[in-house]
Amino acid sequence: MVGAKTGLGMLVAFGFGLATAGSAQTPTRLEINPASLSLDVGDTVVVTATAYDEAGNVMDVPLTFFSSSRRRLEVDRGAGTVVAHRGGEYTLSVRVLTARDIRASIPVMVEFPALASVEVTPLGERFFVGASVRHRAKVLDVTGDVRTNVPPRWATDDPSIASVNRFGVVTAHREGDVTITATAGAASTSHEYRVIANPIRTVTLSASQDSVRTGDVIHFEATALDARGQRIEDAPVTFSLIASPDDSAITQSATAEVDQKGRFVAEKAGDYTVLAVAPGNVAQHTVRVTNRDVSRRIEYVGQGQVSNVPTSDLWIWEGVDGRDYAVTGTWGAHGAAYFWDVTEPSSPALVDSVVVDARTVNDVKVSEDGRIAVISREGASNRRNGLVILDVTNPRSVQVLSRYDDELTGGVHNVFVYQNHVYAVNNGRRFDVISIEDPTNPHRVGRFELDTPGHGIHDIWIVNGIAYTSNWGDGVVMIDVGNGRWGGSPSNPVEIARYRDSGGRTHAAFPYESPTGRFYIFMGDEIGRSVPGGDRDGSPEAMAGFFHIVDMTDPENPEEVARYDVPEAGSHNLWIEDDVLYAAYYNGGMRAVDISGELKGNLYRQGREMAHYMAFDPEGFRANAPFTWGGQPYKGNLFFAEHNSGLWAVKIHPRTQVLTP
Amino acid sequence: MINRFTLFAITFMWLGVLTPSHMSGQDKDRAYLFYVASESEDQVTVVRFDAVRGLSREKVINVGNLPAEMEAPHGIFMDPDGEHWYLTLGHGFPFGYLLKYKTGVDTVVATVELGMFPATVAVPSFGGLALAVNSDFHGDRVPSSVSVVDLESMTEIARTETCTMPHGSRFSPDGLKHYSACMMDDQLVEIDVVTLGVSRRLDLLTGTLVGNGVMHGTDDMSTRTTGMMVAGRQVCSPTWVAPTPDGSSVYVACNKGNEVLEVDAERFQITRRFDVPGAPYNAAVTPDGSKLVVTQKSAGTVSVWHLASGERLGLVENTRRVTHGVIVSPDSRFAFVTVEGIGGEPGTVEAIDLQTIQRVDAIDVGKQAGGITFWRTNPIEN
Repeated sequence: MVGAKTGLGMLVAFGFGLATAGSAQTPTRLEINPASLSLDVGDTVVVTATAYDEAGNVMDVPLTFFSSSRRRLEVDRGAGTVVAHRGGEYTLSVRVLTARDIRASIPVMVEFPALASVEVTPLGERFFVGASVRHRAKVLDVTGDVRTNVPPRWATDDPSIASVNRFGVVTAHREGDVTITATAGAASTSHEYRVIANPIRTVTLSASQDSVRTGDVIHFEATALDARGQRIEDAPVTFSLIASPDDSAITQSATAEVDQKGRFVAEKAGDYTVLAVAPGNVAQHTVRVTNRDVSRRIEYVGQGQVSNVPTSDLWIWEGVDGRDYAVTGTWGAHGAAYFWDVTEPSSPALVDSVVVDARTVNDVKVSEDGRIAVISREGASNRRNGLVILDVTNPRSVQVLSRYDDELTGGVHNVFVYQNHVYAVNNGRRFDVISIEDPTNPHRVGRFELDTPGHGIHDIWIVNGIAYTSNWGDGVVMIDVGNGRWGGSPSNPVEIARYRDSGGRTHAAFPYESPTGRFYIFMGDEIGRSVPGGDRDGSPEAMAGFFHIVDMTDPENPEEVARYDVPEAGSHNLWIEDDVLYAAYYNGGMRAVDISGELKGNLYRQGREMAHYMAFDPEGFRANAPFTWGGQPYKGNLFFAEHNSGLWAVKIHPRTQVLTP
Repeated sequence: MINRFTLFAITFMWLGVLTPSHMSGQDKDRAYLFYVASESEDQVTVVRFDAVRGLSREKVINVGNLPAEMEAPHGIFMDPDGEHWYLTLGHGFPFGYLLKYKTGVDTVVATVELGMFPATVAVPSFGGLALAVNSDFHGDRVPSSVSVVDLESMTEIARTETCTMPHGSRFSPDGLKHYSACMMDDQLVEIDVVTLGVSRRLDLLTGTLVGNGVMHGTDDMSTRTTGMMVAGRQVCSPTWVAPTPDGSSVYVACNKGNEVLEVDAERFQITRRFDVPGAPYNAAVTPDGSKLVVTQKSAGTVSVWHLASGERLGLVENTRRVTHGVIVSPDSRFAFVTVEGIGGEPGTVEAIDLQTIQRVDAIDVGKQAGGITFWRTNPIEN
């Protein structure tokens, strides 16, 4: 490869003479000099390009350079000055902008930054003969980036004392001092262990419970004791398990998990033996796991059919007259919100509607006192969207109190009403706080926007004065908007914490203080799914994604501990109440999930599902195509909005025990 | 009860004299095919028009990735070679996208992220390049940009800052100049396609060049105050640019000013004004250079102007409200207009005979029909 390698920060000019405008002729060939580049991060070089006519004569024509990743490999399009910002392989191109096919490209290899350090865990002072402990290394470069593309090399200075394999598993063979080294490029970390005789004489293993149901978390604790019966605090203990599931068709490894904190959870019923392995010792403890048996009968109660347009969100509330009401939005339609009397859930009665200049009323919310409703507007004919504030004191005669679109013209996608304020997701970028103390005169009192590059926001939910915003790649952000502990108020939102889950597609989130004392945030993805054969007009639609469950009990150390992941379908809105997750799962229907106790693993596979309902409607906007938007438990029934068929009510019956003699 | 047949009959009578009997033999031997984007339906429709059958929907293409999020296809442009077409999606997370589709099979072959709410997009006559305005319709009133995309690699190679809420994106016939309008800054902006820098800005209220201290406008047309008073100030709020086929002029629709301005492309001066009430929005000059077709958004009408004389040749009322885009067939014979509709109304495509200045057919497509681009003319075998 012909290349030019420069030192860090050097400017190397390869000649510079191009880009004069106005040639009437178009070249037939371009050539970049050099034919390839090999750079270091921080290097700046200038490349040149030459244009040739059909006869091979050099032409003076304007040329434009560009990079396949202009943020990582910046190039001055006229001067050809190339600046390498990030390591990787790129393409540098030049073209005649005024001709379609006259272009040339060269490969550019930017060496990753020099490696600065290797951080190894775990570490300690001593190591026991016979112990095998896996070490992990985090490689960092000079910019502080974690470099996953550089596997560390492991070495020992005396393999007769302790050996180490390529995965970092260190095994001690005899007493003595040994140095283990992890090397990545020029960076390395060495750690000296004193290998001593194994003092462990016995290991005991206890479990927080011996008999649980699938999905319940057992905490195992292993204790290593020396010859005097003293606890050895730094004993290397690893956990593993042997499964003996009741279902013989299931293999031993796929039905339960135990992590290295000793937390165990099973997906299938059976007997599970957890092993605590320490040098020269193994302790085991068998627990019995039974089926969770939380399934319940779910029964259709009623439907307020909407089949002419798609339905969006819903809200159920008790009206000031003591009757029960629902409001549903419409999507990609005529800007309607429908009001239903659901006092008799078996026959929701449409009692009023409001039509605004919009095509989508994506979100609907009602104030705590049941007097004010707020509906969002998108697709207004004049592109001034915003929101509409309604008097729903009499849901049979809903009155428009005011419209608010000041700096909200981009379309309010979601709203939340909390203590006389509307929190409106604005243009997918931020939320605005609008006072509706006088609902006929709404006015903005606050605003919150992230500062990350390319930030967005999709949803907001507020509990106890804390807003939980769903921010796609930025995850969930917790903001004090009136809790006060962090000094926040509606006019002065104060960020508390944020967490980005493993999916990076956070669309909706719901906080839950579990009776266990743990504080979870359920974070739902929204991800499209291509369905082979599903592109015919009227075909049912499908989605992907799932709910990520994050333990935020310690906001400083959040941990993504569990998921609820229904195969072949996708998560949407959610509601949590009394240890039950009501998960709207688009083409997976409406699902109720037992989230009692500590959560770990994949709740779907643990038999935690209590019920699910697929709302088939042959007369739906799309016939027989459940596409569940969101649900809300209310007075013993579960109401939910179906994108293709309107408002539904189902009842989840208490579990009845079948007694056998 | 009105059944479908009755509705058809009424519609046919309503169209009345507009039926194909007015067409010449030559007009009847060809069909015109074009693509229409429906912003509130996440659909693109391939529409066909011929003088015998009128308008028909040939194909509906669902666009976007999320069935429950409106991703807002807005700008659409056919590559001059017809092999691909390009579509902007306004709503992203939060940035929008430019999609490259293979014509005919109409499947996405590449995507590139652009800025906030990319709207109008255009490709120059020589192809290989697209310029899309990042209109940022709903963001803070700060300057936005025009994205420049290399269409072979679908790489954004530059983002040229222009002004607040740029809209309209069209090239000069030779492709060397790009024009866009600034809805909130009342400017016409010219980008030099060779340097990708802003070469000139014209203040459409004062008729003077902006930014370099050079004051033009010694004739009445260029110095006359443009626009109407809105909230105590003159406003043009330009929404569209339409260069003439010979490149000599650019027509700018002053949406709030209720005017169309003729700008001399060489001198960058306002040379004529057309009073166009009803919020002129988009415009197109016929390929033969004789007529200007202007959509009037709030009036729900389309006006056709004789460019040589400056006279209005006719006014066509649309079947729905919120008139949006317009293209003209290569033979300068017909204009095809999109009408957004309001709320739950479907979007509409209307065909206008540019000889009789009458609507000859209308057909519904997805809601909020907006972007429209010509594909090809097909011969019809008898």
